[in-house]
Amino acid sequence: MNIPFRKVALVIATAAMTATALVGCSSDKDAKSGDQSLEIAYWNYGPAAESGNKATADAFMAAHAGVNVTLTPVTGENWGTYYANVATLIASGKHPDLMVISGEGAQFVHANKLVVPINKYIDKDPEAKTLLADIAPGLIDGFKVKGDIVTLTYGWNDMVVYYNTDVFKKAGVDPPKADWTWDDFKATAKKLTADTNGDGKPDQYGFTWASNEIFPGIMPWVANAGGNLTSDDVCSATADTPQVNKAVSFLRGLITDGIAPAPMPMSDVFTRFQNGQIAMFGAGRWPIGTFVPAGFKAFDIQLYPKGDTYKTVFGGAGYPILKSSKNPDLAWEYQKFTLSDAIEQQYVGTPDKPGDSIPSRRSVAQTISKVGVPPANSDLFYNSIDKYPTLVPYPAPAKYSTFESTVLRHLQLIFAGEASVSDGLKNMQGELSSIVTC
Amino acid sequence: MSTSKTPRSGVGGQPVAAPGPRVHRRRGGDGIPALAFLTPSIVTFLVFVLAPTVGVLVLSFYDWNLLSDGTFVGLDNFDRLVHDDRLLGVYGSTTYMALAILAVNVVAGLLLAVLLESRMPAWLRGFFRLSFLFPFVVSASAVALIWRFLLNKDLGLVNYLLGLLHVDRIDWLGSSAFAPVSVIIVSSWKTIGFSILVYIAGLQSIPPQLKEAAIVDGANAWTRFWRITFPLLSPTIFFLVVINTINSFQIFAEPRVLTQGGPGDASRTIVEYLYDRAFGDFDLGYASAIGITFTLVLIVLTAIQFRLSRRWTYYE
Repeated sequence: MNIPFRKVALVIATAAMTATALVGCSSDKDAKSGDQSLEIAYWNYGPAAESGNKATADAFMAAHAGVNVTLTPVTGENWGTYYANVATLIASGKHPDLMVISGEGAQFVHANKLVVPINKYIDKDPEAKTLLADIAPGLIDGFKVKGDIVTLTYGWNDMVVYYNTDVFKKAGVDPPKADWTWDDFKATAKKLTADTNGDGKPDQYGFTWASNEIFPGIMPWVANAGGNLTSDDVCSATADTPQVNKAVSFLRGLITDGIAPAPMPMSDVFTRFQNGQIAMFGAGRWPIGTFVPAGFKAFDIQLYPKGDTYKTVFGGAGYPILKSSKNPDLAWEYQKFTLSDAIEQQYVGTPDKPGDSIPSRRSVAQTISKVGVPPANSDLFYNSIDKYPTLVPYPAPAKYSTFESTVLRHLQLIFAGEASVSDGLKNMQGELSSIVTC
Repeated sequence: MSTSKTPRSGVGGQPVAAPGPRVHRRRGGDGIPALAFLTPSIVTFLVFVLAPTVGVLVLSFYDWNLLSDGTFVGLDNFDRLVHDDRLLGVYGSTTYMALAILAVNVVAGLLLAVLLESRMPAWLRGFFRLSFLFPFVVSASAVALIWRFLLNKDLGLVNYLLGLLHVDRIDWLGSSAFAPVSVIIVSSWKTIGFSILVYIAGLQSIPPQLKEAAIVDGANAWTRFWRITFPLLSPTIFFLVVINTINSFQIFAEPRVLTQGGPGDASRTIVEYLYDRAFGDFDLGYASAIGITFTLVLIVLTAIQFRLSRRWTYYE
């Protein structure tokens, strides 16, 4: 058979292209160099996550000659889907040494036996003891599962009320004080609700909350009513208790009284707050990372109002060491490094580019107000966990994603007025009873 | 005129084929290059279509959470389908929204295409075509995000405009009655451009002399549409019915971003439900069982459409 050279060349070229494509799809298991390497998976929720993780990795490599750190950005619409995508990554054969998790993921990674508890490292590492002395105990307890400490937390967020200072001034309302109550809050929100375009219906509301998350949604209200969505051991659901009923009824009352609009996702709340359509909302420190670079600084923060009690609702993030790690000792060094002065200072940020979480170390967090990072009441962030009781545990069972979506699904019906608070919570409890287990 | 069926004899008495359409005979050396050219497609199909399909089928017989070793559970995942309290409701909401989106695409798409093919200045025609096609090429999530802002009950532009007409605020995204309607509106708005484009291609392929002859015969516009346009357009309509049925049953981004499937499951689609079982619950086996049965439902639906199409499609 006489095959022309041109055809042979074509065949070779096509085969080469195919092979190249397949190689491109293949595993990068050879990417690591030697034993001194770490692979870190993190939630790539935006540019800040990418730059922050890169800065930490670069600083670690600069401080540890010969160590190579590979970052693996993982997408996800929230922490739950991020965990799912990391699980997919692991199932596909990747073996990260560390992964970023939030408090919501502590039970998940522990229940799935993914992490190496750091208790023994803390016991034998004097440097760790120094670090722990500078961290609020609540932040350590938040990552403790059945006695195992899952990780040190490098940054965290507590739930505080943001208020638009321009809207307050315009309405002639005094800024809220730390000891305000639910009644004070409701009266304030009512004064801030207004019909600004004269069509007979409000287009500026006193308050709203995120419809797509429970952390900055109902949890601060549930906590201040003295309740929680799970038992202390996070082994059973407690969604239909009188305390939860009281909190949800209060929020629903804000809607029916026309003080709060129908709840919307957090990203929409940010926009409405900046343009003055919403006077107050609840969140952690992360909105500052959006507001300030956009030039919006007319806001301040205050504690959530007191109900039958007051408890700070908070959640942290850390880099737990995964059992798949080939270098757990080096991974521990990296975890500690994320709490070093230089890295923690990143979370403080600058007046024009603030960090989007609160540094875990008290000594660093207290510099936020000193360097002039907005808002004026920034000291409240750390004080809220140091000086006030906290909600422990944060209700984050191992099946957190299912748990949160179930809670939100029933809340939608309650806040839309399609289910009574009692019936909605009863149905919620019915479903959660098979989700929140040990 | 008669034609001989006897092959003519050629040199050496070999039969010679009668002259006819040119037939490309396969030459001996074409096999390897053909295979080489096909290899990327074959590999892509095997890796990204066949292997995942087989994988999903296998997974549907396992209990697997991505992180642990899978456990073979036989038909348990399919048995769970029958006892899943939410599944039927989600199928119901999916069907409701899918049929509505299908109807809008097929009926309103045809109407708009006919209008766009009527007499109007070329620049205006171009403007309308671009306007209808533009949403189709934009990311579904981005589109849904903007609509979510517009449809907000208390602060959205849509209710503000309706308020000027003395219409009370509608809870477009938060009520069980209107949340699916919002998904239908946004999804139809996004996809109708494609239907219009296909309809226009179909309308332009109808020979103009047929309509001219009908006009000469005194047929009015309605008669011309039903007697000429519709029959000749029926293959196009059938194509759009099949494609839009499959696409509208698979919508995900619009309900996900607009309503998160709520309130309750009022605007949840089966694909969204499947996704939540797989990547919310880490219940890959059950999600695979849902996927397999949903695929079968779509196959049956498509088969029924093909069977029924024989009654109303006309091929020249």
